Amino acid sequence: MRALRLHEVLPAGGESGRVILEVEDVHLSFAGVKAVDGVSFRVHTNELFAIIGPNGAGKTSIFNCISGVYRPQQGSIRFQGRDLLGVRPDRIAGLGIARTFQNIELFPQMTVLDNLMLGRHQHLNYGTLAAIARVGKASREEARNREVVEGIVEFLGLQPVRKSYVSMLPYGLQKRVELGRALAMAPQLLMLDEPVAGMNLEETEDMARFIHDIRWELGIGIILVEHEMRMVMDLADTVFALDFGRPIAVGTPSEIQNNPDVIRAYLGEEHGTAPAGGGAA
Amino acid sequence: MTILADAPAAVTPAVTAASRLRQVARERPGEAALRVKNRGVWREISWAEYWDQVEAFGHALLAMGVRPRDRIAIHSENRPEWLVTDVGTIAVRAVCMGLYPTNPTAEVRYLLQNSGSRLLVVEDQEQADKVLDIPAGELPALERIVYIEQRGVDRYTDPRLVSWDDFIAEGGAHRRAHPGAVEERMAAATPDDLAYLIYTSGTTGPPKGSMLTVGNCDFAGSMLASADGLINPPPGPRDFVLSYLPLCHVYEKAIAVWLPLWTGAVVNFGESLETLMTDIREIQPTVFQGVPRIWERIHAGIQVKLASASRLKKLNAGIWLLVARWLGKTLARTGGRHTPLSGVAYWFGNLFLYRALKERVGLRRCRFGVSAAAPIAPEILQYFMSLGVPIHEAYGMTENAAIATTNRPGRVRLGTVGEPYPQIEVRIDEVTGEILTRHPGSFVGYWEMPEATARTLDEEGWLHTGDVGEWVDGTHIRIVDRIKDIIITSGGKNISPSEIENSLKTSPFVKEAIVIGDRRKYLAALIGIEFEVVSEWAQRHKLAHTTYRDLSEKPEVVKLIQRVVDETNAKFASVEQIKKFTLIPKELDHETGELTATQKVKRSEIEKRFGDLIEAMYR
Repeated sequence: MRALRLHEVLPAGGESGRVILEVEDVHLSFAGVKAVDGVSFRVHTNELFAIIGPNGAGKTSIFNCISGVYRPQQGSIRFQGRDLLGVRPDRIAGLGIARTFQNIELFPQMTVLDNLMLGRHQHLNYGTLAAIARVGKASREEARNREVVEGIVEFLGLQPVRKSYVSMLPYGLQKRVELGRALAMAPQLLMLDEPVAGMNLEETEDMARFIHDIRWELGIGIILVEHEMRMVMDLADTVFALDFGRPIAVGTPSEIQNNPDVIRAYLGEEHGTAPAGGGAA
Repeated sequence: MTILADAPAAVTPAVTAASRLRQVARERPGEAALRVKNRGVWREISWAEYWDQVEAFGHALLAMGVRPRDRIAIHSENRPEWLVTDVGTIAVRAVCMGLYPTNPTAEVRYLLQNSGSRLLVVEDQEQADKVLDIPAGELPALERIVYIEQRGVDRYTDPRLVSWDDFIAEGGAHRRAHPGAVEERMAAATPDDLAYLIYTSGTTGPPKGSMLTVGNCDFAGSMLASADGLINPPPGPRDFVLSYLPLCHVYEKAIAVWLPLWTGAVVNFGESLETLMTDIREIQPTVFQGVPRIWERIHAGIQVKLASASRLKKLNAGIWLLVARWLGKTLARTGGRHTPLSGVAYWFGNLFLYRALKERVGLRRCRFGVSAAAPIAPEILQYFMSLGVPIHEAYGMTENAAIATTNRPGRVRLGTVGEPYPQIEVRIDEVTGEILTRHPGSFVGYWEMPEATARTLDEEGWLHTGDVGEWVDGTHIRIVDRIKDIIITSGGKNISPSEIENSLKTSPFVKEAIVIGDRRKYLAALIGIEFEVVSEWAQRHKLAHTTYRDLSEKPEVVKLIQRVVDETNAKFASVEQIKKFTLIPKELDHETGELTATQKVKRSEIEKRFGDLIEAMYR
């Protein structure tokens, strides 16, 4: 009786290498300060796309533009051919984009299971009456969603804390639950904002393995913002380097590691050996 | 050695784990044999399905040309596939060898090389990585690696790899092409067939592979199933067992493999070791095998729960625990039988407190608890006895198929490992005090180690256990210590460190205790704290702390442990008292070599590693 793999629980990304996200010449500024300055890139199915850059380079701002929190002044963002500008964040989530946050955004006074079930919220398709009566479609869907969530619990090894309150969990586990909640939304594009910030070595390795396995088993698009360079270089297919909101390079990890502009802006003299855990130069 | 690999087929084939399984599957095909918690739900595998899987696994082994006496290894946590591998291997008269999930790569290499295993079943990527780290050339015998969990492993390209599902499918194809081939092989089984190589964890020297035969297992299985054996009334299909101790250890083999196959009891597999306490609560096993560490953990769990209860509940608990203390003393005196008065007291206590406590820790239905593998403090046994959870300390070892002595219901004598099983011989050597056993469960030797075999099994068939023991009232046996662990102080006094250590470990605050003093002026101890419990204590006393080391170094914690040491010292004669102690700055671990795979402290390793701490106590 082996563990299920993610594609047995969640929808997979389909044909590999198809463009799912197109970001075209996006500009975003706050009171004249340019946060994102002419950024363009594409993310494909089955691609791990990493965005790197010093603090304040605009990485999280790009996330916020994609997920609809900010509206860029200029440019376009298209997801699976559909224009995202002006679409409300909850609708964007409903289209199949899920994200995690730098500072964990979970319901601390709810259990792990309930937080994950909330991730299934948009996959509940029954009326209030059915929900109250707990019959028919409502109970069937509830059971189906519970199966999906249990598959995620198994994937992330959350069995021992299934019924624990999130607020009682150590930080590393909370990050894992947050990844689970994003997965529960059955995304086609998963955006991870510094998933290993503040983690110790073992937790970092676990998280890297989860990301690797998600990509292998689902083949969806993943955007990763991360300071932990070793992890980025190990996992990413494409690395996109930013500085002061401006793109400075895009390429494979080895190309980026050898790019003089990137080395100057970000990696420092000893390229590729930036300190672990977010303390970027 | 008398192993006849190519012995002529016996007229009646020997009873093996596989033939037992086939028998039960015929009698009760649709009933649950195995239960496993999977994605939050308990799922059942019937006896018929269990046998079907075992037969398919056996066919897959035949398909790759496995011959009698070939070795098949498995490296996994407890799960149904473990049992399928075990019994399926025996079905084709091959030999099953289990590895501890915690075995690191170096030990995996040694065990696979030493056993010459042809096939290895690995649970997942973690275990697969260990064997794949070993250059294939160093494991010439190893032809195939079967992986159960596909995650991560399915992207590897090593040609030896095959998934469990595919392997079982190969078996299915072989079964269609050669129906009855496994049964044919089973019909040729003899009692002298090797069934297992069980490697002893080796607190000294490299692990040795004990060879247990089909006949050994049949003897042990029959002993466990018989009315005058371990459990009374004998176990049956209504009994629930939880499998959670390492299945490559003879203790778990006896309770979770042989006992169910010889009696029809149901085996449960929890979600993981981390969820053990929840799993026990959900299963409420009727027969529960624990090692002292587990019983101590359950005991500590009760204490913590009581400490955080409301005032009214505390009052109620206080009263009934006082009664329990008296009950414990009474039962210890009577061997576990209630007197009329204690019976009434227990009935009320059960109503007001004990039943609820037992329910909370998962022992409400537990009619028979066993403690073995290491000595347990009598205080713990007495505590559980008073709550109505009878724990019977038993004694056995790999080399005698776990069959030697046990405490029987109503005849329990705390502090002893009980009485010899019926029909077996046990004696204590007059000169050395060593316990010797002789019965059909005695192993046939260590794999490819004739000298070690000769040292352990003498010409008359007596097994030398290496344990020093003494008779109590001529019926029960008390274990003094391992022969090689006895401390002789510079004053010439013989002291058993484990008695003192166990007394220290009865405190919920103490996880490990190592008493030192061989050829020294006085006794000293290294003590490891139980982090969770001490941390909880520290929080209640508003003592900020971070890591294990930090907590161990707090003067308040040292004072706390000093009280524990004082309590223990009060129980012992002056030469047996601990004059100094030091708290160990880290948690001991198997991977770092301080514990064996069975979590026993490697004394020599500790003395080496913490040599400076030890020396400081004698300055």
